[in-house]
Amino acid sequence: MPDNKQPRNNRKKSSVGSRRKLLPWLIPFASVRLTLSLLSLSMILIFVATLEQVRIGIRGAQAEFFESFYGIWYYPDQFWGSEFLSSLPIPIPGGYLLGGLLILNLIAAFIVRFQWSSKKIGIQLIHLGIILLLIGQMITQAKQVESRMMINKGETSNYIERFHGVELAFTNVTDASQNQVVAIPQELLEKGGTFNHKDLPFDVRVRKFDRNCEVTIKQPDQSRQGLSKEVNRGVGFTSNLFLKEKEEDYSMDGLNFSFVVFDLINENESMGTWLALTHPAGNHVWESVSPQLADFAFQPLRYQGNLWGMTLRHEREYLPFSITLRSIANEFYQGTEIPFNFESRVTLNLDEKQKRDALVYMNTPLRHGGKTFYQYQMNKAADYSVFQVIRNPSWLLPYLACILVSIGLLWQFSFHLFSFLRKHKSTPRLA
Amino acid sequence: MKKFIKRNFNLGCRSSVLIFLSFVSSGFSTKAFSEDSTNSESFDFDSFSRIPVLRGGRVKPLDSVARNVLLVLRNKRTALNQDGTKVDAINWMATMLFNPEKANELKSFLVDHDGLLGLMGRKLSVDGKYYSFNDLEPHFEQIHKGAIEAGEKEQEKRDSYDQNVIDLYRSVQLYRRVMYTLVLSPSGTDSEMIGDLDLAGVFYDPKIDPDQTAEFIRFRELTGLLAANPDTIRMGSNDFAKVVYMLDHYSRSNIWSEFFPIPPELGDEKKKWRKIGESLVGQEPMDSVEKRNLDPTRFSAILRDLVQSNPEILRQQIVQLQTNNKLDPTVLFATQYAEAIKLRREVDPVLKLYENLRLAYLNGDVDAFDTSVSQIRSSAEKRAGEMVRKINFEKGYNSSEPFFWSSFAYVVVFILAAISWLFSATTQSKDKTSQAVNFFRNSAYYLTLVVFLAHTFGLVGRMYIEGRPPVTNLYSSALFIGWGAVLLCWFTEKYVRLGIASAMGSMIGFGSLIIAHNLSLDSSLNPTGDTMEMMRAVLDSNFWLATHVVTVTIGYSTTFLAGFLGMAYVFYYLLNKFLTVFGKSSNFSKKLDSSLRPVSRTLGSMIFGITCFSLFFSLVGTVLGGIWADQSWGRFWGWDAKENGALLIVIWNAIILHARWAGIAKIRGISCLAIFGNIVTAWSWFGTNMLGVGLHTYGFMDKAFYPLMIFINSQLFFIASAYLPVVFKFGSFIKKKKSLV
Repeated sequence: MPDNKQPRNNRKKSSVGSRRKLLPWLIPFASVRLTLSLLSLSMILIFVATLEQVRIGIRGAQAEFFESFYGIWYYPDQFWGSEFLSSLPIPIPGGYLLGGLLILNLIAAFIVRFQWSSKKIGIQLIHLGIILLLIGQMITQAKQVESRMMINKGETSNYIERFHGVELAFTNVTDASQNQVVAIPQELLEKGGTFNHKDLPFDVRVRKFDRNCEVTIKQPDQSRQGLSKEVNRGVGFTSNLFLKEKEEDYSMDGLNFSFVVFDLINENESMGTWLALTHPAGNHVWESVSPQLADFAFQPLRYQGNLWGMTLRHEREYLPFSITLRSIANEFYQGTEIPFNFESRVTLNLDEKQKRDALVYMNTPLRHGGKTFYQYQMNKAADYSVFQVIRNPSWLLPYLACILVSIGLLWQFSFHLFSFLRKHKSTPRLA
Repeated sequence: MKKFIKRNFNLGCRSSVLIFLSFVSSGFSTKAFSEDSTNSESFDFDSFSRIPVLRGGRVKPLDSVARNVLLVLRNKRTALNQDGTKVDAINWMATMLFNPEKANELKSFLVDHDGLLGLMGRKLSVDGKYYSFNDLEPHFEQIHKGAIEAGEKEQEKRDSYDQNVIDLYRSVQLYRRVMYTLVLSPSGTDSEMIGDLDLAGVFYDPKIDPDQTAEFIRFRELTGLLAANPDTIRMGSNDFAKVVYMLDHYSRSNIWSEFFPIPPELGDEKKKWRKIGESLVGQEPMDSVEKRNLDPTRFSAILRDLVQSNPEILRQQIVQLQTNNKLDPTVLFATQYAEAIKLRREVDPVLKLYENLRLAYLNGDVDAFDTSVSQIRSSAEKRAGEMVRKINFEKGYNSSEPFFWSSFAYVVVFILAAISWLFSATTQSKDKTSQAVNFFRNSAYYLTLVVFLAHTFGLVGRMYIEGRPPVTNLYSSALFIGWGAVLLCWFTEKYVRLGIASAMGSMIGFGSLIIAHNLSLDSSLNPTGDTMEMMRAVLDSNFWLATHVVTVTIGYSTTFLAGFLGMAYVFYYLLNKFLTVFGKSSNFSKKLDSSLRPVSRTLGSMIFGITCFSLFFSLVGTVLGGIWADQSWGRFWGWDAKENGALLIVIWNAIILHARWAGIAKIRGISCLAIFGNIVTAWSWFGTNMLGVGLHTYGFMDKAFYPLMIFINSQLFFIASAYLPVVFKFGSFIKKKKSLV
């Protein structure tokens, strides 16, 4: 940013003046006061959103404040004076609003306020880097997908599962060599209605869907109540579950049991009502909860000579390659519970012939095919490893921004530092 | 003449620094790093303190263990005798290990919570706050009960009594574990069972046996019977039942001992240190609770098969069984038993050496004590090799206490700087003023350099011992923040010799060391008492610790410095305004008034320059943190509490700089903004850790809440008072021409 006094003299020499004349309407957007206001507001936003993480978790705070144009904040109960203030909704400008305005402000400043001279190149680089960071973050928030991949030791996996987001999958397993899958994604389940697909011999009518519910297993003799009352087929009917409504848990280790109650319809006639329920750790876990519930991973249905399996599972994405887990290691410092190493030895199977061994451990992920696999969880006793899988098309932007900003900062501040030192060397010391 | 005076003054301040240096060096001498020559009349505790052991995942001298444990128990690195005289850490440790009865009389515990004292029927004013194990013993049951009740509550709902009773309970447990590290704990032995099995003759009897190893040899004879005749391994066999009982007993003793005194066995590739129980029967393959799920018949069958194999094959079988049966307690415990019976045939000679040491201590046999110590040390050197390389350094480092001396010296620096201001304000004659003023300013300046070196030594010593970059946890971040600020202040003072940078640097240096000291006492942050703890896997990257963590911490440090300079300005400004109103005629006020403009300017440019540094380091550090997060968690930015805190600092520094560039804030405004920067930084440093959310919560703590609130309020008070003159219309008194703001 130019010194306050200088622009007036320099404007004539540089091209700023002509640019201002060309785009006069841009001048107010380039104001430093706007920058200061936006920065101050973002401090409030960040502070409030950090506090709110205690109440609604990181994911909740992110959705409410950072990935929105505005958020509503309720004064925390723990604070002083909450008896008067806690019921008051306080609107807080959101991340998209402030981020967008900041980008506009910066670009405008670039056009009508910055001098395009070599002397100020540091300033320009810094701000260019900041613009890149902001854009990169906005793209990330819009595009980044987080999934996980769980592999048992010695086994191979070719799909990843979303952390959040489920699908109702129908798998035709009649032909053991080739499974056919039709899946209804969460967005559609949330809308509800009746679905049909050319590969499905029946229609699916969604009665109820929610991202979370409270699950309790009732005694067999008690009558079934709650959300799955009307279920009359499958595990939901035989296992006598009691489902109660529950808000989605946004916290880091929050467990969400998504469920769907649906009818299968053959030529306008209902064949019955089923319940499908997701276990947050994967539907294979149901078996260990209770053998009765094991079928939530695969509810069989014989229909017109075909065997179908139905399940509400975490949304899957199949990969053009697969990963084999060869071994895992989980080491602790002797005599402590402080881990010093989690690592998985894997083989990346690209196709029949092409294989490559890789090591995934802390701070060293495996990058392949636009996706990055991070060591996430591990169970030494049960011999499995979970990778967090991330696809972030804009991951390179922050690196680029970092380089630009660093060069710019170094340039600018070393300039200031040297002038400071020069000044204080030449003038006599102050008494 | 002038030259002469100048030289004289330089000599003067240097000599004052020299006096201080010699004072400090008494605690800091090279003596600590080389071994003392032995005094033939008393035990060589210096050598004893250098025995390497493993605790908290790190090999360290016994001296460190003693100091760290006492830090947890008593918040001091010493214990007290009944009469209140000090017992140094290593002396206390020897008593604990070798003479438990006497140790139980030493005051090793800090109990200062009214509720706990009430529980014991004691009064702080009468009985003090330090208690011995014997003082606590009658109340154990209540303490235990209280701790269990408190433990059942959620962390946020615990009050100070709950927290204190939990801490005291843990302290007692720690104390007992230390005590039973070299002498096996009798807890859990069942006399009826011992009688039934006819085991009484196996256990150590001080009246008959020369030492504990007699028991271990008898145990080996018992296992030898099974190894020679595997058929006896079956349910109902008395020999087998005896071995099972003893094995169980030794396995349990592992849980009841605190550190690992036995160096790795020769040829052990993993270089595992062992406890006494482990040396006898190996390590339990899973939690001992799982023994309940054992199938006894299958267990004895597997064990019998294993013991029949020859040792080489058995080793392979054990590895194989352990990898293939990770969830099967029957198989896993059978492998441990097979190892204990067949593979562990010898009693480790180090056990004998420790027993010799114990008996020599009890008998007051100085020569035998010193010989045993040197035997243990040389055996550890032989067996652990490279692992014990830093032992002597660490022992010397412990004794030199660099941070204690530095914090003391920072106070002296501040006093020197403050005196220099007094002189500069009160004396009239120009020549005299500059002489005295310069003397004190220069003393402060040179002393800052000396303290800075001591502080640096403290940091570098830690880095060498840990093999890590300087900042590894909250404790070391405090040390580093102080260090960075002092370095910058010294540099600033080099060019702008006003005494202000020295004073502010010493304030931050002192403050940060006090904070660090309090962090080291926090039971949740530092449960082992060792501030050089091991790093968890995700942080285990020297590259990122050296780049991201160090830059961010320098960012904290410079932001604090800018804030303290802001406070200095506000103080100066208010003093000036105050005197212009109430003491117009005094020389002091005139002088102050005339210096307001240049001093303000200099302070303003100092704050500005340092804020530039802050923006640079906090921005680069935060972005580097993003890149690290991208490398290890898969996202550049996750709005995690600590990340947000760092971002707040970046934005705040950007606000300060833009406000100045745009001419919106001038010197007073900038100062106040910089003071608010202290609040932002304190929030980021500590506040975020108190939320207990996010990925960075490895440093969770909530005890700092009130100190943090006090700090924040004090800063707000400073900001508010900077605008007092405006609020009370003092402006009318101020000459318009001279007003700067």
